[in-house]
Amino acid sequence: MNFIENTLWLLAVLPVLSGLLSLLMPSARLVLASTAAGVPVIAGMDLWVAVKIFMEGPMTSNGGWFRIDALSAYHLAIMMIVFILSSFYAVSYFRNEPAALRLTPGSARRFSALWHGALAAMTLVLISNNLGIMWVGVEATTLLTAFLICLHISTVSLEATWKYLIVCSVGVAFAFMGVLLLAASAGAPIAGAPLLQWTYLHGMARILDPRLVKLSFIFLLVGYGTKAGLAPMHSWLPDAHSQAPAPVSAIFSGFMLNMALYCIMRHLPIVTQAVGNTAWTNNLLIFFGLFSILIAAVFILSQHDLKRFLAYCSVEHIGIIMLGLGLGPLGVFAALFHTLNHSLSKTLVFFSAGRLGQIYGSHDMRSMKGTLRANPIWGGVLFAGILALIGVAPFAIFMSELIILKAAADTQKYFAIVLFLLGTGAVFVGALRHAIDMAWGEKPEDIVSTSNNSLIEWMIVIVPLALLLILGVWMPAFFRNILELSAGMVTGGQP
Amino acid sequence: MHGMTENIMAVLMLINLALAASSRLTACVGLVAMQGIVIGLLPLFSREGITTRGIFLAAFVVVLKGLIFPRLLTNTIRDASVRREIEPFVGYGFSLIIGTALTVVSFWLGTRLPLPSSPAMSLVLPGAIGTILIGLFLIVSRRKAVTQVLGYLVMENGIAAFGLAVVSEIPLLIELGILLDAFVAIFVMAIMIYHISREFDHIDADQLSTLKG
Repeated sequence: MNFIENTLWLLAVLPVLSGLLSLLMPSARLVLASTAAGVPVIAGMDLWVAVKIFMEGPMTSNGGWFRIDALSAYHLAIMMIVFILSSFYAVSYFRNEPAALRLTPGSARRFSALWHGALAAMTLVLISNNLGIMWVGVEATTLLTAFLICLHISTVSLEATWKYLIVCSVGVAFAFMGVLLLAASAGAPIAGAPLLQWTYLHGMARILDPRLVKLSFIFLLVGYGTKAGLAPMHSWLPDAHSQAPAPVSAIFSGFMLNMALYCIMRHLPIVTQAVGNTAWTNNLLIFFGLFSILIAAVFILSQHDLKRFLAYCSVEHIGIIMLGLGLGPLGVFAALFHTLNHSLSKTLVFFSAGRLGQIYGSHDMRSMKGTLRANPIWGGVLFAGILALIGVAPFAIFMSELIILKAAADTQKYFAIVLFLLGTGAVFVGALRHAIDMAWGEKPEDIVSTSNNSLIEWMIVIVPLALLLILGVWMPAFFRNILELSAGMVTGGQP
Repeated sequence: MHGMTENIMAVLMLINLALAASSRLTACVGLVAMQGIVIGLLPLFSREGITTRGIFLAAFVVVLKGLIFPRLLTNTIRDASVRREIEPFVGYGFSLIIGTALTVVSFWLGTRLPLPSSPAMSLVLPGAIGTILIGLFLIVSRRKAVTQVLGYLVMENGIAAFGLAVVSEIPLLIELGILLDAFVAIFVMAIMIYHISREFDHIDADQLSTLKG
């Protein structure tokens, strides 16, 4: 216990070590295999810490630089699930790349180094108690993941990477202004005070200058919102998600967006306490949430590229989470539940989109017909995954969206219900049409059917699907407890 | 001591205006480097006087922003063989007018911001805000990828100055983290520009527009 308390920073260093180890491997296959072997080990450590936090409460270490509480532990767990699945998937994905795109040992090492680097940076964001370090971590993820998008250099992948770099760097710079303003709201600096520490600011939230705090929150919302892909700051997202190799799209959509939202959630209790009520922040959150849902719906209806379609789905779901955050305690609970559901289903769908893209040689939904016959497992997962994403009943997303609607009804935000249903309804219809066409359409003759899927492929597909189904019909008491603890941290529970 | 900070801020604003009006990329790199050095000197004239922390930070910033970044960027410009920003979206004369307008706006914003630590008549806040705004303006109004990177650097400079104006005591570790991020950012962007110029035969960011919808 004591050991772990003094070494929380190890969680962020571990991925770096594992990354270095994988660099020593001689061939591309071994590099990827060592990544797939290393990530679960890191995950074991992270999940162990997370369980400890859930059972024993928050943990602070190294003079207050690092801190994990229920909210960060919950996100840590989601991150590790997404990373384990994606690391396994990467092995099978890159093995099936067409010959021209085969990874050389060099590019495999680059992939592995950046992959571990991104994991380390995201861990740093989650475990840091210092808002400055948290920001440094977010900016670092942008820079580390940039070259993952253009792992295969082409004109379009370079274009996507450039947009991602510029838009996210500038956006996240705004978030830093927000952090500075938040620190300034504490009044004249006291010598030696841990000014940027979350616990410090949270402790004195009531005496912060509300005007500066409001200004700071707007900067934070725009800044981290850019990284999270909230409309109208989402312009980088569809390009980056569609051009990146599928395992990278999976971690982008499955966790990087959530990490940015986590940063917003971290600042929320400080802001609501300083402002004195939740109405101001809630209105902002609801506005951005609904706006993202509606914008995404418009673009989803006109999409033909499968991965771009999924990218806009991410914008929609980030909007739903945002909306939930603005709807009081029950809404926050549902938003956090939705976070897990979305990460699981989006990871799955990107997995199958990537493999089917390799089989069909294109991501155009109009030519990807008859996926169920082309490859039963990936075709089936794509269909099931899209159903899960649009909120079809037995899957967990249906439940979390239902709770969000209930939260909206409880807080009498009827216009939010209307707009939410309008947006998700449009997505439902548009997506279902594509999904059915892709699953049962006429398979092009030149596509050879395959069904020799490895055991690992079955595993990374069945486990998340089962989780989604189970959580959709039954929420275990311990899981409900975890969600309530995490939601308590957002709504301003005890520091 | 405090007078020096004001002088530095005035220099900062003049560099901003010069940036808005110059077309030669190497000249722009030089201006941004000068701005970086000037920003680097700021910690030496803080209210606490000269401290080891200040000297360390100043040396670090000057080396990074005054020497390493310009080197990286001039190499990039040479490899991509671009000299000038030809036909920016906004002409140079008009850019200068906008630059002046942004400076005025930043003075106005500077007086509106209810900050606890800065005196009302100081140039620090307007200087910082003006630099951020000019950086943003350069990013959106210029075609060449290199100029966008320069705009990002200018914005970064502005935020650094803003940090000094708003929070005087940012822990050293965080300052270093931010500088490291800036370093990696410029490095990554330089590599990107190299790849773009090889793949496209140009580095006009506005022609990166295949991906739509």
